[in-house]
Amino acid sequence: MSLLAVRRVTKRFGSLVALNDVEFSLSEHEILGIIGPNGAGKSTLFNVIAGLDTPSEGDVVFRGRSIAGLPPDAVCRLGIAKTFQIPQLFPRLTVAENVLVAALYGRGASLNEARVEAREWLAFVGLADKATLSAETLSIAERRRADLARVLATGAPLILLDENMAGLNQTEVAAAVTLLRKVRERGRTLVVTEHIMRAILGLADRVVVLNYGEKIAEGPPADVMRDATVVKAYLGEAHG
Amino acid sequence: MHRRLSISEWLALAAFAVLLVLPLAVGAYPMRVATVIFMWAALAGAWNLMAGYAGSVDLGPVFHYGVGGFATAALMLKAGLPFLVSAVLAGVVAMAVAYALGTPTLRLRGAYFAIGTLALAESGKQLALAWDRLVPWFPLTGGSAGVSLPLASGYAVFYYVMLGLMAAVTGGAFWLQHSKFGYGLRAVGENDRLAEASGVDIHRLRRRLYVASAFIIAVTGGAAGYWLSYINAAESFSAAVTFQMVVMTLLGGLGTPFGPVLGAAFLTLVSEFLGTRFVYYYLIVIGAIIVAISLFAPAGLSGVLTLGRRRRVQEAV
Repeated sequence: MSLLAVRRVTKRFGSLVALNDVEFSLSEHEILGIIGPNGAGKSTLFNVIAGLDTPSEGDVVFRGRSIAGLPPDAVCRLGIAKTFQIPQLFPRLTVAENVLVAALYGRGASLNEARVEAREWLAFVGLADKATLSAETLSIAERRRADLARVLATGAPLILLDENMAGLNQTEVAAAVTLLRKVRERGRTLVVTEHIMRAILGLADRVVVLNYGEKIAEGPPADVMRDATVVKAYLGEAHG
Repeated sequence: MHRRLSISEWLALAAFAVLLVLPLAVGAYPMRVATVIFMWAALAGAWNLMAGYAGSVDLGPVFHYGVGGFATAALMLKAGLPFLVSAVLAGVVAMAVAYALGTPTLRLRGAYFAIGTLALAESGKQLALAWDRLVPWFPLTGGSAGVSLPLASGYAVFYYVMLGLMAAVTGGAFWLQHSKFGYGLRAVGENDRLAEASGVDIHRLRRRLYVASAFIIAVTGGAAGYWLSYINAAESFSAAVTFQMVVMTLLGGLGTPFGPVLGAAFLTLVSEFLGTRFVYYYLIVIGAIIVAISLFAPAGLSGVLTLGRRRRVQEAV
């Protein structure tokens, strides 16, 4: 049985069709890449899965259960956690407390368990030395890692990363890819949207390509990159 | 889990112990002033829980104050119950009302919640004014004439009730700093969408706090009504009560356990001192002091204290 199935999801905002009949599924321990040009519907797709938006049509099924229309906190407790495209923080809590909240409420841990877990996940993403600092003091790259520690601490088996590598330099991207592989080794399943093609190619087992809200290709990254429609969507007619 | 108490928690306990025995040592006037301070500290403290910890700026807390006042009066006058029983039951009534009204209003965000609660308190006032005409078979509020309560014998009961309320609300604020519920609330206050995405049921948490603070405010309202032995709708639901709670909290320090206590003590003492000396001008002076504090110490009086402590620590390093 697949872990997550997106079934013929359509999302309209007024007359704008952000997602049109999108369908794919995901099995456990997989890393799925979602790529597509700006405005292709990647973030909307994530919002629909994470409960921040309700699909206009279609269904999202997680472990055999329909979750479309559930509020985001319920979706998180069921086991889907999402990072934000612009990394979000609780600015005046410490970095450790940011992660603590996710362990307390996402996983339902007790205060003592959550304290230990927060420390472990911060060490995992390499922010152990920042634990007691106020979260607003973190740099962009650090905020992305803190956000990753937060979603890991929710205990959710399925993690959605929305452009988690945007704004990082080459070294930081390489470090992030290594880190995400380690996340998979910890038994989590990942869905990653990304603009940085190289990062996706080296990371994802399979990619889904969106363009104008529609799925135009799906398959192993190397095959998809040779697909004429994909090249056209990204680079325009002359290259196709 | 047993956590070691912090310095400020020891300070709070020591102050509480002193205040418990203070009536043995001082006369009627200081006791009256202290009771006024405790009352405002309890009210401002309850507002501080919502605004300072959960980030919900409630501009209608006086609603619970009015509900508490009239419910206490009705229970004492109609059911003939003793004051303490009536006040606690009035608190429970206010909790039920807050639960029912909070369920939809707490879904409003930011300024919409503030305006919604402001409107709620004003509607409460109008309803209270019109109650006896609307429900002639069960008069409660006495319309604009108000209701007289029985005279209390002695001060001690008010002193200790208000002290207890202040202690409860301050203890609650300390508890929020290190409890699971408190972390959840602070997360909601800092970034409610992120809190939601991290698994926090933000509506349930907010409502739980709203209902608890309604209890404190309502019992305080009941005690205040019995203390003055008279209440009327215009004053019991007056926005002036709300704004005094807001000003005291901001003066003392929003989101700190001692902030409302400091703000209530400061404003009450300054009003007493200036009010007796400059009968005609003291409000102008108080206004100037409030403006000066918000300009030069935006974190409030407790912010000034922590800043001083931090500086000393830095100098020591």
